Amino acid sequence: MSALLSMENLTGGYGDADILQDVSMHVAPDEIVAIVGPNGAGKSTAMKSVFGMLTIRGGRMLFDGDDITKWTPNRIVQRGICYVPQVDNIFREMSIHENLEMGGFLKKGDLSASYDRVYTLFPDLKERRKTLAGSLSGGQRQMVAMGRALMLDPKLLLLDEPTAGLSPKYMEQIFQICRDVRDTGVAILLVEQHAKQALAFADRGYVLAAGKNRHEGTGAELLADREVAEMFLGG
Amino acid sequence: MELFELLNFYVIPGIVLGSIYALGAVGITLIFAILRYAHLAHGDLATLGAFIALAVVTGLGVSPLVALPVAILATAAVAVGIDKVFYEHLRERPKIVTVMASLGIALMVRSVIQVVWGVDTETYSRGIVRPEDYFGLRIRDREIYTVVALIVLVGGLQLFLTRSKWGKAMRAMSDNPNLALLSGIDNKKVVMLTWVIAGGLCAASGFFLGLNTELKSMMGWYMLLPMFAAAILGGVGRVEGAVLGGLIVGIAEELSVLVIPSEYKAAMAFVILLFMLLVRPTGLLKGKVL
Ligand SMILES: Nc1ncnc2c1ncn2[C@@H]1O[C@H](COP(=O)(O)OP(=O)(O)O)[C@@H](O)[C@H]1O
Ligand SMILES: [Mg+2]
Repeated sequence: MSALLSMENLTGGYGDADILQDVSMHVAPDEIVAIVGPNGAGKSTAMKSVFGMLTIRGGRMLFDGDDITKWTPNRIVQRGICYVPQVDNIFREMSIHENLEMGGFLKKGDLSASYDRVYTLFPDLKERRKTLAGSLSGGQRQMVAMGRALMLDPKLLLLDEPTAGLSPKYMEQIFQICRDVRDTGVAILLVEQHAKQALAFADRGYVLAAGKNRHEGTGAELLADREVAEMFLGG
Repeated sequence: MELFELLNFYVIPGIVLGSIYALGAVGITLIFAILRYAHLAHGDLATLGAFIALAVVTGLGVSPLVALPVAILATAAVAVGIDKVFYEHLRERPKIVTVMASLGIALMVRSVIQVVWGVDTETYSRGIVRPEDYFGLRIRDREIYTVVALIVLVGGLQLFLTRSKWGKAMRAMSDNPNLALLSGIDNKKVVMLTWVIAGGLCAASGFFLGLNTELKSMMGWYMLLPMFAAAILGGVGRVEGAVLGGLIVGIAEELSVLVIPSEYKAAMAFVILLFMLLVRPTGLLKGKVL
């Protein structure tokens, strides 16, 4: 199995308590993988662990042949992982275009190809490129956040609840954009509250509960699993 | 009292004093926005800038305006140095530790100034400068230089912040430090840049106070409160706000003499600060909440 990202037996947390306990996951290139589970299960924490934003006490993180467990965020971004946090994921007092520019900060030379790519994915943003990001609606903010993360042409995109608080119409749109992004060769690992929809759309999924791996499989397998359905998908 | 008397004796000096406060307040607001602490050595750094310019004026016999760029560069370097030697190590600690450290730095900088230049009053040039008459407005050249310097320096800073890559990186760091880090923005460079700008503006502030009045080792310390009042009045993190705040505090101080004894002039800044914190803590232009 040639995984792009593999999280191997990760244990760690913010202070002394271990929020993640022996969590393992992997994402293959070109794959969309969803993490679902109840609130407080440690889904966001699992994502932050990729960027070393917590104390890791066991296990390791491999990306594309490198052990990135102890790397700084700066180096990880440069290596090809970009991350959209669950909250505070835009620069509110900067324009849409400036948000994208900051996303491409590390790129040397001309950014125009990257802008084109993002504006093609999100035509709504192009029209309003001078608008302050903080004044946009929730769905548009999410697009700015994803656009910012795509500016460096990452190999892997981490999305923490990209559809939280959005209408079903926007949710479908975001999912469609994820497929489009994946079709350009970017793997996606995303956390979703809308578990049913997410599993229906993702290639594979993990069910996380109380900081532990509980189930894994293809989206269809997990949706068909009776225990998963009863415990995590509301019957 | 007639209009021109009001303008000539209160408003114009108020604008000049306000411009001097504004130069310092812009640096204070940038440090608040990016490093998130109150920098109490700001006033004494301004004094240092003023005295470095004096050293250039007396040492090389050049005009004060030629000495200004030298003072700006030297003070910017000192500010970066102080950050590297002292504040950088406190970055992970609670902010109040750095605030207290900056008070220590303030005392240290002042002592160095007193050792090197003494405690006497100095001036850049001797003699009395008579104001020119512009249609009834009486304005001295140095007053014009002060306001022009504010416009040029802050205008340049605004261009830098809105047009250049690193200026935008500074705004990004102020807006959302975590996301800036996740975008790969090098926060060490941003911090250094912040000190270069704040230190340079400090020097300009001290220099123009010295040019319009005189140089004393305590001159900057006495400006600290009005500069903070200006930054908070304008909205923390807002450059335009700091300028507006500086002008309001400066003009209010000069006008206050009309109604209260002039010994209490300095209390105006305190009154404005208190009033603002009670009524609208985000400042006139809605800055960060402290
Ligand atoms: N920054 C933090 N510091 C300390 N504890 C945290 C922090 N973030 C989350 N937690 C705790 O970690 C646990 C998992 O949180 P999180 O990963 O955000 O859950 P999820 O995203 O699955 O809802 C929760 O108990 C939460 O209280
Ligand atoms: Mg979460």
